[in-house]
Amino acid sequence: MLLAFRCALASERVSTTAIEANEFPQLSQELGVWAVPRIVVDGEPRWDGAVPEAEFLRRLLGQNWT
Amino acid sequence: MTVCNAVRLARMPLLRSEEETKVRDWFAELERPVELLIALGPEETPRAGSGDVDFGTEMVRVCEGLAELGERVTCQVEEEPEGFPRFPSVSVRPDGRDVGVRYDGLPWGYELGSLVGAVVEAGRAEPTLRPDSLAALEGLERDLAVDVFVTPT
Repeated sequence: MLLAFRCALASERVSTTAIEANEFPQLSQELGVWAVPRIVVDGEPRWDGAVPEAEFLRRLLGQNWT
Repeated sequence: MTVCNAVRLARMPLLRSEEETKVRDWFAELERPVELLIALGPEETPRAGSGDVDFGTEMVRVCEGLAELGERVTCQVEEEPEGFPRFPSVSVRPDGRDVGVRYDGLPWGYELGSLVGAVVEAGRAEPTLRPDSLAALEGLERDLAVDVFVTPT
């Protein structure tokens, strides 16, 4: 979670919102949140689980996406 | 006597004594002021099990409790401010500026640590990412909205 916040604090182009899944069940259902943390970028589910910083950035920015 | 969830929560201390000491120490090191802007408004009906918890009231209690732990942490409440799609929400604002760091829903349990961490990070004068990460972000040519779904356990 903190890594995503750090990205928002480091770049004016990134905004990060933590969303408590149980409190917003409709949105969680729409985005298929079954595991946390689930990372959604621009409304599209991207991945589940915590990853190291370099991997987080690669996935976030779409570099070497696998 | 039956004690409802809301009363039980209101009586519960925000942090254990040793945790409170740590947070006070962290907040004492903040290099710039951090404002917690709480946005209150109509709430979605949460999943069963939440009982009678008033999430907005509890959000205010949590944020005001954190603000008491550091001179540079302040807290204010607004009703349905513009640009907030979900309530309750808290915007973590270094120097009072909206830099896109938010927590939607109640940061309770394990997730209280995420809000505390967001305040500590927002209070730093310089970003704490690695230089190559900062360089990659500098190359961004469009805005990115990152949502991280979490739970309190």
